[in-house]
Amino acid sequence: MDSAIRQSLRDGEKLGLRYALQIPQVAASGWTGSRSGRRAGSSIDFQDYREYQPGDDLRFIDWGIYARTDRLTVKLFREEVTPHLDLILDGSRSMNLIETAKANAVAQLAALLATAAANAQCTQAVWLSGEGFQRLPNDTLTPSAWDKLDLESKRTPDQSFEILPPKFRRLGVRVLVSDLLWPGEPLQMLRRLRDGAAALFVIQLLSRDDATPPEHGNLRVVDSETGDESEIYIDSSIAKQYAENLTQLQQSWSDACRQCGAHMTTLIAEDLGKSISELEAIQLLVPA
Amino acid sequence: MIPFLTYPLAMVALASVPALAAIYILRNRFRSRQVSSLLLWRFHVQSKSGGAKVHRLQLPLLFFLELLALLLLVVAATGPQWKMPQSARPLIVVLDDSFSMRAASDGVSAQTRAHDFLEKLFRHQPPPSTRLILAGTEPRSLGPTVKSWRELDELLSQWKCWSPDSAIDSAITLAAELGKQQANILVLTDHKPADEKISSQRLEWHAFGLPLDNFAIVNASRTAFGDQDRCLLEIANFSSAVRTTKLAVQTGTNSPETSLVSLGAHESQRLVFNIPSSAPSLRATLESDLLAEDNQVQLLPPIRKRVRVQVELTNENLSALANRTLDATGLRAAISENPELVIHESDTMTSSNSWSLRWQSSGATNAYTGPFIVDNSHPLAEGIALEGVVWAAASMTNAPGDVPVILAGDVPLFSEREDAIGRRQLTLNLNPELSTLPSTPDWPILFWNILQWRISEMPGLKESNARLGAEVNLKTTDETVTVTQPDGGKQFFPKTGGELALETPMPGIYSVAMGVTTNQFSVNALAADESDLSMCATGQWGKWSEDTERRLEETSAVWIFGLLALALLTTHLYLVATAKGGG
Repeated sequence: MDSAIRQSLRDGEKLGLRYALQIPQVAASGWTGSRSGRRAGSSIDFQDYREYQPGDDLRFIDWGIYARTDRLTVKLFREEVTPHLDLILDGSRSMNLIETAKANAVAQLAALLATAAANAQCTQAVWLSGEGFQRLPNDTLTPSAWDKLDLESKRTPDQSFEILPPKFRRLGVRVLVSDLLWPGEPLQMLRRLRDGAAALFVIQLLSRDDATPPEHGNLRVVDSETGDESEIYIDSSIAKQYAENLTQLQQSWSDACRQCGAHMTTLIAEDLGKSISELEAIQLLVPA
Repeated sequence: MIPFLTYPLAMVALASVPALAAIYILRNRFRSRQVSSLLLWRFHVQSKSGGAKVHRLQLPLLFFLELLALLLLVVAATGPQWKMPQSARPLIVVLDDSFSMRAASDGVSAQTRAHDFLEKLFRHQPPPSTRLILAGTEPRSLGPTVKSWRELDELLSQWKCWSPDSAIDSAITLAAELGKQQANILVLTDHKPADEKISSQRLEWHAFGLPLDNFAIVNASRTAFGDQDRCLLEIANFSSAVRTTKLAVQTGTNSPETSLVSLGAHESQRLVFNIPSSAPSLRATLESDLLAEDNQVQLLPPIRKRVRVQVELTNENLSALANRTLDATGLRAAISENPELVIHESDTMTSSNSWSLRWQSSGATNAYTGPFIVDNSHPLAEGIALEGVVWAAASMTNAPGDVPVILAGDVPLFSEREDAIGRRQLTLNLNPELSTLPSTPDWPILFWNILQWRISEMPGLKESNARLGAEVNLKTTDETVTVTQPDGGKQFFPKTGGELALETPMPGIYSVAMGVTTNQFSVNALAADESDLSMCATGQWGKWSEDTERRLEETSAVWIFGLLALALLTTHLYLVATAKGGG
C-alpha cells in the first residue's frame, strides 16, 4: 500500500473524528456491546417483567414478587449491543484511476466512515472486492492501521460476489463505496447487499473525469480494468451522449436502491471534503 | 524523376505536402486517456461528424483531395511538357490583301472564310511558328513570327483587304526566301493559281472566292480643263449577261443626277463630262451589289498651281519673248509679287528665295545645229527633241557645280544648279535672234518644263485624286505634317523638308495638315482586275508533302494540372459545405 493511500487513511480518520455513524433502530441488535439493544439483555437498564420460562436465567427472578404473588417473575433488562458496519469497497482498478484523486478518496472515505462508526460504538468490517471479497487486514483497528488497501482488481464487485461473497453480520449497516461503473443489473447486486442488513448505503464515488464530459478532440479511451481501447472523436453530440449515459446509469442504480430501501449518493473524489454533507443528507453520518 | 531542385516553386509546393500530412496526422492523433470503464463510451448512435470508433489512423476524403491538389500543383510548378502532334515545319501564310476578298456572298466574305480556315488549321495542327505575308500591290511581311493563335489573330487584324492588286507570286517568292525552303507556305486567296498544277511540296493554295456578278467603276478622274473640270467615269459590267445599273452623280451639295447604265457581258462604258471647277467634290455611285467597295468614287477638284514669275530682262525683245512664252504655258500666276521665279540677265543671284533663270544672250554668236546632247531624265528636258534647231550660244565651258541639261559638244546650252539653300539657278545660253529655237515646239515645252518643275517643288499636294494603293506625293516645308486617314487614323511626320510619298491603304478622303494649311485628297478603289469576280473560285491546289505533316512537339501542360487542381478544390469546397468530407 503506497504512502498516499496511507496518508489518505490518516486524513479520513482525522476527518471522521467529527462524525458518528447514524445507527438506525433496526440495527440496534447484535453482539453484546455498549449500546442498548432493542431486545432484553443483560444490561443494568430495567426494561420490563415477564413470567419465568424454563431456560431463563435464574439470576433475574424477582424474588420479591414471588414472595408477594407466589409467581415466578423475571426482570428484563435492556439489551446492550454493539452495532456493526460492513464497509464494502470496490477494489477494482477503476477506483484507482490514474491522474485522479479517486484512490485517495476511497481510502479517505473509508477511513472517515470507519472512524465515524467507531465514534458510534460500532464494530466494523472492511470488505475489499477482488478475487472474491476479502476483509482488509487490520480492518478492526483504526484506519491508519489498515493494510493492503490495493485497488488493482480486474474484477467488478458483482464478479467478486460470484467468486466469494462477503460474510456480512446480520443487521449491520452496510455501505458500498464504488463508482458503480460496470455493466449488469444493479438490483441483483443490491439485493444481495441488502439481504440481512439493517441499512444499506451506496456511495458512488466518481472522479471529475468520470463525471464531466470529456473535451473535444480525438481520444483513445482505455478501460482501466480490461485494457480495452476505443478511439473516438469527441464533439458536442458525443459529450452530450456521454453525459446522458452517465445519468442513465445513475438513474438505474437510484431506482434499484429505491426498490431495495437503500440510500444512494454520488460524491466527486476531487471534492470529497465538500461533499461530506451529502452523507449527512442520506442519514449516514451525524456530527459527533 | 522530376528535378525538383531546379524548380523552386515546386520545392515550396512539395514542402507543403508533408505539412498537410502532418496537420492531418496531428489532427487525427488520438490522445490516450484511461477511463474507469468503457461502459459510458458505448453509444447507440454514432455521430456523423465524429464518434466513429476506429482502430487505425483514419484520413478523411478531404485529406486525399487536398493531397492530390497539392501534388497537381507541384507537378504544375515544374512546368510539365506534353508531347502533342504538331506540324514539324514553320508556316508562312500568304494573305491575299486585294479588295476582291471583301466580296460577300450571304454576308460572308472570302476573307472571313479564309480567316476561319486558318483558325481551324491552327487549332487542329498548330505549327511551331507562323509568319504572315500580305500580298498587296507588293508583298509585305506582317509582323514578327508568332507561335500562338492569339498572337496570330492580333496580326490578322491588319489584314484589311484594301489593296488594288495582289502580288501573290511575289509574296510566295518572299515566303520561300524567308522560309529558306523549309517552311510550309499557305496561300489564302479568292482565286485559283495561274498554274493549277503546283509542283512545290511546300505550297498549299486555298481559294475561298465565289464567281459573282459585279458592276464596278473601274476608272475615274477629274482634271483641269480651262475654267471647268473634265471628269471621266468608266463603268464595267463583270458578268456574263447584259445588266443594267443605276448611276448617281452628285456634285457638291446638289441633288444627285441618276441615269441607267446598261452594259453587255464584260462590257465597259466611259462617261466624260464637264463640271464647274468651283464644284467642291463629285460623288458617283452605282447600285449596291456583292462588292460594295468599287461602287462609289469621290473626286475632288484638281490642284491648280501657278508660278509667280518676275521678268527682269533689260532686253525688251527678250522680255517680250519671255512674257509671251510664259503666258502661253498657262502656268504663270497673274501676280508677280514675291516671285517664285525670276528671269534675268545679270550674273548675280537674287536675294530672295525664288528660283532664277539667267538668260545669257550677249556674246552668243556661235550657232550650233547639233547634234545636241539632251539629258532626257531631267524634268527640264522632258519632251525636248531639238530636231533641226539652230541654237546660237556663247562658246563657254560648263561651270563647276552646274548640271548640264542640254549640251552642244562641251558647250552647255541649258544647265541648272542648286545652291546651298535649295534654290535652283537655271542658265539658258541662247541668243534667240540667231536661233530658230523660239520658232519650234521645243520652245514652249522648255518653258512649260521650267514652270512645271518649279510647281513640283512648291509645298503641298501634287494631286487631289488618286487610285487606291497609289502613292500621293507631298512637298513639305519645315513643318510637321499630319495625315488623317478616312478611318480617322492619323499619321504624323516630323519637320523635314523634301517630299513625302503618302500611302493610300484604303479608299476615302484623306486630310493633310501642314503648318496652318490643310488640304485633302481622295482615294478611290479603282481596279478592274479586282472588281472582276468572275474568275474567283473555291478549292485547294497543292498539298504539303506527308513527311512534313506531323511531329511530336512538347507543349506546356501546366494549364491541365491547374484545371485539375481547381476541379479538386471545387469538389473539396462542395464536400466541406455539405459536410460529406468525413473530416
